[in-house]
Amino acid sequence: MKIRNFSIIAHIDHGKSTLADRLLQATKAVSDREAREQLLDSMDLERERGITIKASAVTVNHEVDGERFQLNFIDTPGHVDFNYEVSRALSACEGAILVVDSTQGVQAQTVANAYLAIANDVELIPVVNKIDLPAADPDKVAMEIEQVLGLPAEDCIYVSAKTGRGIPELLEAICTRLPDPRPARTEHLRALIFDSIYDDYRGVIVYFRVFDGSIKTGDRIRMMGTGRTYPANELGRYTPRQQKVNQLGLAEVGYMVAGIKNLGDVRVGDTITLESNPAREPLPGYEEPRQMVFCDFYPSTGDGEGGRRADFESLREAVEKLHLNDASFTYQTQHSEALGFGFRCGFLGLLHMDIVQERLEREGGVEVVQTAPTVSYLVDLHEGATVEIHNPSELPDPSTILAIREPIVKLEIICPTDSIGDLMSLCDARRGIFRGQKFVSDGRQMLEYELPLAEIIYDFYDKLKSMTRGYGTMDYEIVEYRAADLAKVSILVNGNPVEALSLIAHRSNAELRSRAILARLKKQIDRHQFEIPLQAAIGTRVIARETIKAVRKNVTAKCYGGDVSRKRKLLEKQKEGKKRMKMVGSVNIPQEAFLAVLEQSE
Amino acid sequence: MADLERYSLPLAGESSIGSRTPLAEVAAGSTARPEGAYIHVPFCRHKCHYCDFYSFVDTQDRQEAFVARLEDELEHATDLGATVGSRLVTVFIGGGTPTLLRPPLLARMLAAVRRCLPLAPDADLEWTVEANPETVDAEIAAVLAAGGVNRVSLGAQSFDPQSLRALERDHRIESVAAALGHLREAGITNLNLDLIFGIPGSTLESWRGDLEAALALEPEHLSAYGLTYEPNTPLATKEARGEIEAVEEDLEASMYEDACNRLAAAGFERYEISNWARPGRACLHNLLYWRNRSWLAFGPSASGHLDGLRFKVVPRLGEWLDSKDPWPLSEWERLDEHGAFGEELMLGLRLTEGVDTAWLEDRLARCDAGGERRRALESALADGRLEQIGTRLRLTQRGTLLANTLLADLV
Repeated sequence: MKIRNFSIIAHIDHGKSTLADRLLQATKAVSDREAREQLLDSMDLERERGITIKASAVTVNHEVDGERFQLNFIDTPGHVDFNYEVSRALSACEGAILVVDSTQGVQAQTVANAYLAIANDVELIPVVNKIDLPAADPDKVAMEIEQVLGLPAEDCIYVSAKTGRGIPELLEAICTRLPDPRPARTEHLRALIFDSIYDDYRGVIVYFRVFDGSIKTGDRIRMMGTGRTYPANELGRYTPRQQKVNQLGLAEVGYMVAGIKNLGDVRVGDTITLESNPAREPLPGYEEPRQMVFCDFYPSTGDGEGGRRADFESLREAVEKLHLNDASFTYQTQHSEALGFGFRCGFLGLLHMDIVQERLEREGGVEVVQTAPTVSYLVDLHEGATVEIHNPSELPDPSTILAIREPIVKLEIICPTDSIGDLMSLCDARRGIFRGQKFVSDGRQMLEYELPLAEIIYDFYDKLKSMTRGYGTMDYEIVEYRAADLAKVSILVNGNPVEALSLIAHRSNAELRSRAILARLKKQIDRHQFEIPLQAAIGTRVIARETIKAVRKNVTAKCYGGDVSRKRKLLEKQKEGKKRMKMVGSVNIPQEAFLAVLEQSE
Repeated sequence: MADLERYSLPLAGESSIGSRTPLAEVAAGSTARPEGAYIHVPFCRHKCHYCDFYSFVDTQDRQEAFVARLEDELEHATDLGATVGSRLVTVFIGGGTPTLLRPPLLARMLAAVRRCLPLAPDADLEWTVEANPETVDAEIAAVLAAGGVNRVSLGAQSFDPQSLRALERDHRIESVAAALGHLREAGITNLNLDLIFGIPGSTLESWRGDLEAALALEPEHLSAYGLTYEPNTPLATKEARGEIEAVEEDLEASMYEDACNRLAAAGFERYEISNWARPGRACLHNLLYWRNRSWLAFGPSASGHLDGLRFKVVPRLGEWLDSKDPWPLSEWERLDEHGAFGEELMLGLRLTEGVDTAWLEDRLARCDAGGERRRALESALADGRLEQIGTRLRLTQRGTLLANTLLADLV
């Protein structure tokens, strides 16, 4: 029986999950009665957001012209925040189905995904989906695919995952157009881990593809990257029902349960080999997961000391529980002068951060206050060392710094032609470097830029959406760390620096950003009996300044018809509020002021 | 809040019929001698957008039920002995718009007050009714005078059409002069005008215009309140949404200072932060509040005070009408000595007469364990918010504008 290992890749909402369901149904892996929407996405959140966060793999059989095929469908995360995971899943495949919505055309994520597949040497079958819709223009979309991605328009298969039209042709193409898996290069077991999930009852379930050799139930295995060894207690595959097997051989895909308790002990991209007879070299492409975006989470309610502690505990519980299911974010306890105890968390990207925040609130049942995201910086020191920092306060003494490097992304934008000018100005203002412009189809263009990641985590996407009236799409991929003229900006209130408000900014726009921050701060700090200067400074040089004038009027006018209690309570509230504020020098700064600066992006 | 004793109201029901509420117990045994009475009439023809007093547009015509219920309440207070040995020198009927009551019902309410409460002889009695200028005609004025009312407070608010619109205030400017005319003709000659400054869109010039227009009508008393954005009012909502913009704090301060100067020149004395009067015409009822004296309270949401016990009548008309308890209270509290001292300071320092230094020293010795209050007072004396004149300690003009910065540390 021949084996075909493949993935489906698509821009969000282009119909990937529906197509996956339809393929399973067409191979009779799922009966019509059993078919339920989007079988592969198991989390509510995924279905709601229309994205697949965690991969799984399904094995089905299919016959073409009397020849039997084993089809292994490897699901991939739908967003390049999970770039590394997507690339590992793709490298476990020989082929990929590139799905494009026939009413939407090629979008930024289509391009990013296709590039990733091509980089992993994966054969692409372009599919134009949703051809049942009245607005469908499959020929135009096929031309876009040819224009942007260089895949011949006539290779496109037109499909309606909803009605099932084109599905038999697609199944046939999977069997006939995708290449055979490569032959073994060694007799030693080498299997690539492309995903792992945490199961409350069985511990970690590892998904892998065998590239060389074979694995049997009971084998003692070794992870070549981490060096850990485990017993392969259970092997199996999903059809999509779980089916135990005794052995998985060359080019096959399946899962393993090996008594692994901690998701963090398993690394996507790692190579499984046999402890007794190990391979000499691991499979290529393994990398440590790297968190690029950081933010703090604090419990959002916390009136009174007791309340705050209780809330922090429930936040801690939620964070720890979520980490069991997603080892790709990091967390460490953080104490902010202004916001109390919380966690500083690192994420693969912005979407990943949003997902973690939503899951904390939804699954963990805690409401969180999230600070504005920052990126990780690499600081090269004169003495030769390099340190990674995630927080302005960690920045070493400027005199010891040789260079500060920041993450740079390659950005693709697909947009209506008439918004090109606005978008180019936006990218320029965000320190972008123009890399190219491509014709997509009548009225649509693709822009390619390099930008600092720090510049796109500040409401870039919202601006892009409004400039393109919602039609623009973007995707990015981190390419490298690059030195830039960055500096720590301190915020001083009445001459006293407030560490919780400091930021790292590029010198070219430090002044602009500082002014915006000071303006927000000014709105949040009450007038005092004296004038309060607000300053932003790089080192000792003040780059922006605002002044909070001295209070002139703070008096309750009315007597509330003799409701003295009410009047007293208003004053008591004022007094209580003052107690909860953070004293910096002789200035009371309310928590809202910190949040106004930390929460908002621009 | 641990320092205050707080009770919760027994659930309305069979058990409370015939029994006495905790207030009744206290009132019966109280040594307090109330000197005034406040009566709240919740009806309005239109709800103004800044107002957060309990009032509403009555669509069910419950005026008669209101008056009948109020009669019960007044009689019950007497039965309870709440007024034993006292002689009331002030009555204040506020709202809402008391003058919205139909004349026969208004007359009936005034008669009930006279019948049930131990009022001082007319010559010693200040009896105030609040009125919307638009509601005062010759008939109403005559009913008020005949009922014994000798002081009327008119909600003029502003004489600038744009400002009145900003407040969603429902009266014509010329109705203020007309109302004053009717009242004077009926023999009511102690008259107050309420003004509001700091209205969105107003300027120093428009405010000066308001002051001149008010002075031209020759009232005996003027109240000038800085506009307050009370939570849950349409005005506050509009401000939060950015539909209207509050005037700058500095402008508001200038408006207040302007009022101080102009009214002083016109022969008015400022006796409280927001209140001015011609000599001898200060509102005695409001002075009861500031001097921390005792007064009774009737009608939905009315607040009263009996020698340290503060209480409030249930705040909703429907609940009040239906209550089987003759004097249904929703909240009451008695502060401990420390809390009561804070309240007295909060109230007394609002008055131009200030507080007595010997009394202050006595209280500080007993109710200022941490020294927090003394420090606050000393710092206000040092930076010119407070001044000592003879044996009295009082806010300076600057301190008046910054009163809350001090009072918040004293409560």
